[in-house]
Amino acid sequence: MRDRILEALKRSKADYTEIRIEEKETTRVVFRGRELETANANIDKGGIVRCLIRNKGWGVATFNNLDDLLTKVDQAYQCAQVASVPEPVELAEVEPVQQVVTAQMGRDFRDVSLAEKKAVAERYNQIVLGYSDKIIDSQAAYSDSFSRLILANSEGTYIEQEKPSVVVGAFAIARDGDNVQQAHETFSTTQGFEYVLEKDELARKAAQKAVELLSAKPVKAGVYPVVIDQMLAGVFIHEAFGHLSEADFVYENPKAREMMTLGRRFGKGLLNVFDDGSIPNLRGTTLYDDEGTPARRNWLIRDGVLVGRLHSRQTAAKMGEQASGNARAINYRFAPIVRMTNTAIDNGTTSFEDMIKDIELGIYACDAYGGQTQLENFSFSSGYAYMIRKGQIAEMVKDVILAGNLFTTLDNIDAIGNDFKWLNTGGGCGKGNQYPLPVGMGAPHIRIQNVVIGGE
Amino acid sequence: MDILTHLKPQAEQFEILDLQNEKTTVEYEANQLKTCTVAETKGTAVRVIRKGQLGFSASTDPAALEKLAANALESAAYGDPAPFSFADPRPAPIVRTFDRTVADLPIPRLVEIGREILDLILPVEPNARCNVVLERSLVSASIRNQKGLDVAFRTSPFSIGVEIDRIEGDDVLILYDQLGTTIWQDDYLDFVRRLVQKLERARTITTIKPGKMPVLFAPTGTLALGLPLSEGLNGKEVYKGTSPMRGKVGEKLFDEKITIVDDGTIDGKFASASYDDEGVPHRRNVLIERGVLKGFIYDLKTAAQSGVESTGNASRGGLFAPPQPSFTNFIIQPGETPLQDMLGGIDEGILVEDLLGLGQGNILSGAFSNPLALAFKIEKGEIVGRVKDLSIAGNIYDLLKDVAAVSREAQWVYSTFYAPYILIPEMNVAGKSQ
Repeated sequence: MRDRILEALKRSKADYTEIRIEEKETTRVVFRGRELETANANIDKGGIVRCLIRNKGWGVATFNNLDDLLTKVDQAYQCAQVASVPEPVELAEVEPVQQVVTAQMGRDFRDVSLAEKKAVAERYNQIVLGYSDKIIDSQAAYSDSFSRLILANSEGTYIEQEKPSVVVGAFAIARDGDNVQQAHETFSTTQGFEYVLEKDELARKAAQKAVELLSAKPVKAGVYPVVIDQMLAGVFIHEAFGHLSEADFVYENPKAREMMTLGRRFGKGLLNVFDDGSIPNLRGTTLYDDEGTPARRNWLIRDGVLVGRLHSRQTAAKMGEQASGNARAINYRFAPIVRMTNTAIDNGTTSFEDMIKDIELGIYACDAYGGQTQLENFSFSSGYAYMIRKGQIAEMVKDVILAGNLFTTLDNIDAIGNDFKWLNTGGGCGKGNQYPLPVGMGAPHIRIQNVVIGGE
Repeated sequence: MDILTHLKPQAEQFEILDLQNEKTTVEYEANQLKTCTVAETKGTAVRVIRKGQLGFSASTDPAALEKLAANALESAAYGDPAPFSFADPRPAPIVRTFDRTVADLPIPRLVEIGREILDLILPVEPNARCNVVLERSLVSASIRNQKGLDVAFRTSPFSIGVEIDRIEGDDVLILYDQLGTTIWQDDYLDFVRRLVQKLERARTITTIKPGKMPVLFAPTGTLALGLPLSEGLNGKEVYKGTSPMRGKVGEKLFDEKITIVDDGTIDGKFASASYDDEGVPHRRNVLIERGVLKGFIYDLKTAAQSGVESTGNASRGGLFAPPQPSFTNFIIQPGETPLQDMLGGIDEGILVEDLLGLGQGNILSGAFSNPLALAFKIEKGEIVGRVKDLSIAGNIYDLLKDVAAVSREAQWVYSTFYAPYILIPEMNVAGKSQ
């Protein structure tokens, strides 16, 4: 394969040519209620060629038949011929790399039978269903995927990477009369099958949350100091801030460009935010991105000031900055675009107890349950929440929706916890037509003053 | 090595779909030619029934056929009981779905068609930002099963999607339509001319007092009425017990001006073909005739579960998904009344062209509540200007009981939807009071 790829690259007439080959095996088992809904495995193998003619543009060819790469390179070249960019496309310099990255797994899930995988999902489904007679519906899923990726380009880069992933999730719906509540929990790992066993606690937690929410009162609308847990903080920084740091968004949108000027103050001095695809074994880890740029830690906010953003080689060149290792594609059917890897609010110094002890009346909001952002405005629902009364966690409340302006909210962060945690959730991020892309999120507890909470 | 040899000794029944698709896409974004892509997909999807249970697996790796067979058989070990058998070989109608002219459209011609579209829109509306996606495919599929079914078909789908954004101050107007065909159409720009006409008409802005009034749905607007019907007429929803039309075959549920047909046998239409995605011949299914419910659409599995025959409506959402019942071309039959007469009879009302957020919420119930993305005021039989910030809500199971008129004129919109103008005599139109 390697020889054929190198030969095809050598013969290309384009200014820049890139070939990516992917071989992916996936398994998925889903229980819904008492029924087994899905239990199957698929194989997806294919490739993509991208050709750049500097003063015309990009041409792309994707394919399953890997026998004739020369023809595919030619097709992509013909496609690039018809493009007509207003100004020549440049790519930021990246040192060519030759590297092989192999997966390090304990028990390789490819050697595990479908029967055993089914038993995992079935067990968690039973736990949810058996938790209480108030549980009226459940879903429990097991899924795994193993990708083998080859990336090579006409500048001499040749990288082979293996990417394993296993995810389990439990979803519970509880009902009491007309009152219907739901909760879910997921867990993902890159390290092997044994890590998704013994996750009974996760299924129990989903069921317990759904049942507890039945007796929670809706939160009273108002302006509160709010402490958010690691999960909600992680989702918040990814959705409300992270996407604005993606350079393709910034340079195509004059309003965003103005908003995201480097050097602008984004919060108090205690706030630090980064994106880092180089940390071993996280969900968004990608040691080389889909253009062959090595992952690194990219500081986005340092001491409260905007200091960086996320780039592909094209956006980096266009803005006179460095490629950051964030050009990613969900699979071989897509060209890479600017995406996050593992995004986090860095650890702080305040303990959780200190964070809540002076709050007379506030809210402790946990977990994220959907949200929307539009430029600097965001709205997130928390999965569940508690009132904070006289410095203590008090009764559970529901329907807590945090809405506001990103800049005001970041500036209102006045305490950052010392309990940083990477979140092992199994979800993915969507952008354009490309969903789901595995991403990681992390944060400690954080406290935000003057948050507007909607409600009755 | 043929995968048949792996499956035959191990399963009572098997079905093999081989699919090949070569797709060329030319994309204009914000009036600029941005990307050109050639995508070739080739793969195999297998269903087996072993010990009465259904299994599924798919692969795009031609070297992994043995593994594919093993995956499908393993999946069957945990599959649903299969109360049906795969399709019998049967003669199918001849449906024209392949055209050399379309299959041979070169990339420069696609680029040129994109240019022609922009040249129709931009001189009229220089501030418009247009996204145009032109897509030409060549699809070959074959389906084989243990009963000796062995059908192969070839289609040449060609589609043009046009999205126009016009932003002036706080006023945002977004229009979308799509042409889809499998044989060359000389009038391929007609739908763009219709979009341009809407843009021109939308320049005059007027107001209307919200309240009860006649509402005329344009063909694009009738999607609000058609979407809930397409769900309710789906045999899967009927079997699950979630369709409001369940158990009502033979009953008159709607005004007698309403006739709904599913027809995958019309030459050249986007969802047309001789066979459905499990090898059952396509046919013309009259589902609602003069207001009377005649039946539902089924694939083999849901038909067997419901004790009826498949209506030839199996459809796969790609290689990696098993078949499900789904509409082919959705047709609301044109009526008798000329559009001019329908307009002429309206003293004050609105013409609904586009709604926002269709398909959200519990559409099975028939209820909808949507802001109007584009609507015009009709005054004394004339379309006098665009009205903004309005919304309509209702339930199609009530609204379609009393229809004032259905137009003689009808259009193909969004590729697979054919509809006339439909006049509802009175509906509540909500909005800011003027």
